[in-house]
Amino acid sequence: MRILKLKKADLYRFLEVIYKEADIWAPQKKGDKFVFDRVDDFSKIELQTTRTIIPPKKIMVPPMFNMFDFNEAGYKEDFSHISKKILFGIHPCDIHGLLTLDKLFIQEYPDPYYMGAREKTLILGLSCWPDEHCFCKSTRTNIIEEGYDLFFTDLDEFFLVWIGSSQGDDLVKLAPDKFDENLSDKDIQAYIRWQNDKEKAFKTEIDFVTMPDLMELKYKAPFWQEAGDACLACGSCSMVCPTCNCYNVADKTFLGGKPGKRIRTWDSCTLPEYSEVAGGENFREDKSDRLKLWYTHKLQAYVSKYGKPSCVGCGRCIATCPVGINVKTIARALEGEEVDAFWKKMSREVTK
Amino acid sequence: MPDNKLKIGIYELTGCAGDALLIIDCEEELVNIFKAANIEAFLMAKSDNNDEVELDVALVEGSVSTEKELEELRKIRKRSKALIAIGICAGLGGMQSYFLDDKDWAKNLKAVYGGVEMIHAKALPSKPIGDFVKVDYFLPGCPIGKEQFLSTFARLLAGNPPELFRFPVCVECKWHENDCLLNKNILCLGPLTAAGCGSVCVNHNLPCVGCWGPSEEANRTAEYKLLLEKGYDPALIKNKMANFSGTSITQFFARLKGETK
Ligand code: SF4
Ligand code: SF4
Ligand code: SF4
Ligand code: SF4
Repeated sequence: MRILKLKKADLYRFLEVIYKEADIWAPQKKGDKFVFDRVDDFSKIELQTTRTIIPPKKIMVPPMFNMFDFNEAGYKEDFSHISKKILFGIHPCDIHGLLTLDKLFIQEYPDPYYMGAREKTLILGLSCWPDEHCFCKSTRTNIIEEGYDLFFTDLDEFFLVWIGSSQGDDLVKLAPDKFDENLSDKDIQAYIRWQNDKEKAFKTEIDFVTMPDLMELKYKAPFWQEAGDACLACGSCSMVCPTCNCYNVADKTFLGGKPGKRIRTWDSCTLPEYSEVAGGENFREDKSDRLKLWYTHKLQAYVSKYGKPSCVGCGRCIATCPVGINVKTIARALEGEEVDAFWKKMSREVTK
Repeated sequence: MPDNKLKIGIYELTGCAGDALLIIDCEEELVNIFKAANIEAFLMAKSDNNDEVELDVALVEGSVSTEKELEELRKIRKRSKALIAIGICAGLGGMQSYFLDDKDWAKNLKAVYGGVEMIHAKALPSKPIGDFVKVDYFLPGCPIGKEQFLSTFARLLAGNPPELFRFPVCVECKWHENDCLLNKNILCLGPLTAAGCGSVCVNHNLPCVGCWGPSEEANRTAEYKLLLEKGYDPALIKNKMANFSGTSITQFFARLKGETK
């Protein structure tokens, strides 16, 4: 692994060079939030962003896409969402999110739609600064050791650039004059200072070590019912979570002899249909049971299989759930602490 | 010459005819629709309607609001293998069904029409068609959506039941990566509303007003209390919720009334 220095002003010049290799996707503004989108204009790239509304999983498996066209004669796979891309500006938590999806989509039953896009996407990470919802320090996803081709740490006056793969190295070789191998002591001190300051900047912390046990011990605690009563079963939490990976498939047919399409869409275990089986029996009719499943997956089941939570601390569920059901408030409830959230208030309040 | 094409009838009861109009508006597919099935009755599209023939599928728009319509509906049901309610009025009763009980209805009728005697057909409190006959499927929307209609039509021709989204608009809204309006304290009914429209309103930065009707699990209590907490006036929230809910909201309002007593 090599670490190089890149002048601030040279970033766009570097991106211009590598833009010839593939489309660049990077965070851009949408209203007052951010989204990953194809870059047409470098000045629109946002370097100081917090989380995007939807994580970059959408590039590997779009929310809704056609898996194949079919008719009486057979079927033809549709991989049109796969193209060579450079994903720039992805934060450590989201890189960990992709590493989690790799385990789910590649290890046991390799998913060609995910794998194809994943292999064709170069990951150019970018450092970030936590806001009030970030807690990747608690999930230990603030630091990355793998899963990137290049990683840019923004130290105000310059970037330190980690080379994480041979493909990353190839990109650097396209513009070797922009990168400096010689780091001064001052540069290194600046990096250490930045890292220490960042460690102290987190406002949300959650003790994940206790979570698997607490999930077990508090499985019947009344707060689950309160959260279930307030849950809108809107699925937003799963859509925005970088490690939620469930999907549904349905066939769409057309008039006029056109081939049918098998459409794959993002799904969520918070939705009523998810646990329903043929005949209409539903194993998780109660929303509280669905929430328990969601949080078991994030805080307990994944831990027992992979040794860490499947939550990467991005804070998207905190920023998204309209009634305040999220990893933070559920963790507080599991710990037996006071919870300041609408779902808790609703359980106390009598309607006006 | 007899053929084995499906026999289909499209009917309009009390409504704005928007759903029938939407079918006509499927211009580029209209030829395919007429080619693929025998459209036996469709008042808006043709004049040689056969109102006696046995049907494979009847599509019915509008609510029942006269005795004559009720009679017509019963006849349609009798000669149809499957009956599909299209649009909010047929499925839920629409705005014309939004009164609290039959006593209010009688009062309103008198206030609007005075003592006039109905010669054409005796008025009834407007109700969704499912209150009188068995409805096999319901295509929601005010009006229904083209894509939803065409894919349902194609599925029916292939002998498959319609496959509709059962979750709320929020899911589609997130697929489109919209920033949540409700979280910005804007009254958005997405969480209570059946998906299928592609969240078009929020994609254009407008809140969902609920025109696709309530979703399967609409948690009205939670959204009502959430909007109260955000400072909205109870009457405003109730009106918004009622617009496209037809008679399906009556129970919720009754419960709310009970709670506030
Ligand atoms: S559970 Fe919440 S904080 Fe954790 S990864 Fe998912 S969206 Fe992010
Ligand atoms: S927990 Fe929140 S975001 Fe998730 S389905 Fe329930 S209301 Fe929606
Ligand atoms: S904007 Fe409306 S439809 Fe979209 S997620 Fe928020 S509440 Fe749901
Ligand atoms: S009002 Fe709601 S349900 Fe109707 S089209 Fe707009 S977003 Fe869709």
